[in-house]
Amino acid sequence: MSTPIDRRDFLALGGAVLVAGAPGIAAGAVPPKAVAPAVATHALATLPKAKGPRLVIVGGGTSGLTIAKYAKKEYPRFDVVLVEKRDLYASCFASNLWYAGLIDLEFLAAHSFLDAAVNNHYLHFNATVTGLDRTAKTVATNKGDIKYDFLVVAPGIDYDYPRIGVTDPGAQLTLAQTYPGGFARSTEHVTIRRKVQEFEGGVFVQTVPNGNYRCLPAPYERACLMAAVFKKRKLKAKVLVLDANPEITIKAKGFHDAFEQLYKDIIQWVPSVEITGVDIDKRAIKTDFDSYDFDDAAIYPNIRAATLIEQLGLMAPSDRSAQKEANIDIRFYNLVGDPHVYVSGDSRRHPYSKSGNTANSEGHYVARVLAARAQGKEIAWVSPETICYSMVNADPMEAISVDARYTYDARKDVITGFSPDTKAFLNRDTAKGLADLEWARGMYRDMFNA
Amino acid sequence: MACSLPGTAVALQDFAPARLVGEDGSPLKATEVGTAEAMVFAYPYAGVPCFLINLGAKRAHAHGLTSSDDGGYTNPPGVGRAGNLVAFVAICTHQLTYPTPSISYLRYASTASELATAPGRIVCCAHGSVFDPAEGGQKISGPAPNPLLPVRLAYDPANDGLTATGTVGEKFLQRFFQNYKAELIERFGPGGYRQQVTGTTTAIALGRYSRRVPAC
Repeated sequence: MSTPIDRRDFLALGGAVLVAGAPGIAAGAVPPKAVAPAVATHALATLPKAKGPRLVIVGGGTSGLTIAKYAKKEYPRFDVVLVEKRDLYASCFASNLWYAGLIDLEFLAAHSFLDAAVNNHYLHFNATVTGLDRTAKTVATNKGDIKYDFLVVAPGIDYDYPRIGVTDPGAQLTLAQTYPGGFARSTEHVTIRRKVQEFEGGVFVQTVPNGNYRCLPAPYERACLMAAVFKKRKLKAKVLVLDANPEITIKAKGFHDAFEQLYKDIIQWVPSVEITGVDIDKRAIKTDFDSYDFDDAAIYPNIRAATLIEQLGLMAPSDRSAQKEANIDIRFYNLVGDPHVYVSGDSRRHPYSKSGNTANSEGHYVARVLAARAQGKEIAWVSPETICYSMVNADPMEAISVDARYTYDARKDVITGFSPDTKAFLNRDTAKGLADLEWARGMYRDMFNA
Repeated sequence: MACSLPGTAVALQDFAPARLVGEDGSPLKATEVGTAEAMVFAYPYAGVPCFLINLGAKRAHAHGLTSSDDGGYTNPPGVGRAGNLVAFVAICTHQLTYPTPSISYLRYASTASELATAPGRIVCCAHGSVFDPAEGGQKISGPAPNPLLPVRLAYDPANDGLTATGTVGEKFLQRFFQNYKAELIERFGPGGYRQQVTGTTTAIALGRYSRRVPAC
């Protein structure tokens, strides 16, 4: 049976996170400092002449792909250009399943940007954004400038290694490529899968950051699926989960049950571990009090909005976002003071889930905001929905899930927490295990097909 | 969404009638439709699965409804002696989950379940949408933007027979074909999935149609 999401889960989400909407700061009051980064080329990109208001979307992840499709559906006059720097798509959502062999790489990656654009009547432009001139409504790319009427920037996240005590840029790069977190770039997933498949025993560390990190349940899900592989191979192995939080941040009962009932001798979960450094050569994670040795690891540091948000001058001051996110209106996603520039997906400063399904659900709404504003109208705020499965067993596949929405306080202009109809399904079963796969397929269909 | 304004009533689209038959090819009698699970039949195209549902003690009602692909329509009321037989296109209007021979994430839950919470609802396990087959397939909860699309049935009291005669959702069904073209070609052959059903269509209990039906 479903249970109302427990208060501990709510506090875990809220904790460091609700800072994002500091009370007392009126929306729209503080326009960001005009950084006006250089527009690099001064030559226009080769694109067909816009046939209607041009909507440029930067980033072809869940948020950008959803908005590109649905903005065009909502307002067919839009001339939509999706700018994406990758030449091959692969999803971050569902990637944990690959490590345990429950899906193949095609499941994550056989989805074409070209097909998405053709099926949904927009242009895919394979380029990297390098600058923004908001006065001239021009976004610069390595393949030329693009004039916009509306701009959506949805570049996702980057890691914030200084927050786990790794400050030297060289050490950050070495750590990122040796023990990647597996939550930002697809190539990290390939590495972690190899690590799991090649592990022969010993201690495999999975760290969990604090703050509003991408996909709250994913590090715990990954611990379960790694443990499932090690258990099946009868390895003398331990999965050591070093958690910066005092409690599992979401679906706590479901994960505790899985840890104890399925992986009692394999998973060791340690709460409140604040990492202060990593010794890459000695393979040790340091805190103020302890040192944890490991044989291999997936080190998930704190996250922040993609550095592009900062480079384009779109970052919120620290009293509006504790983790370098975009300075956008909580309800309508426009940059504070600029109704033509929007930031969506995991670069947002909202305290709710940074995850694929939330970005997909939010994208439907942001598309409607854009369609309305292109016609001089406004629409009422609607909460995004976070439907999220976590596979806790691999053989047979069993999952737990949550279905959450959020509440908004107009007086304080903040997201205050989970809505009362939020449900958690924390008894793992095979029905949810199978549904997990279809959950992901549905999102691919929603982004890439008509 | 649940507006029942008489002025918005729009007829369903007529398709060639197809008499529902059992697996042995003999005409299906309304009294043979059980209440425990849905039966699956293809209509109006060979590749489109539909649910035939016996609501038991419940009667089905008509409503003025809207599809974001195909616009306004009025769902037909239930048919049969007790007005409790209804049919829907078995494709979730959220992200197009549908029953296949290997698995069906979509089902009629005649008894309460974790997701359904009350008996007599259609549930989609993929993202948790719950629909009410007695009220035009309208959404009760979950992310689906629209009701499930109805299939119109004609009931012949003389022989207790059922015939599918029309539906709504041509644009929705074309989108369904685009989404699943490769797997539909694999199952039905090139073009086979979009052949119109004529004459008869076989109704099979969902538990026999799909090898696995997760009980979400």
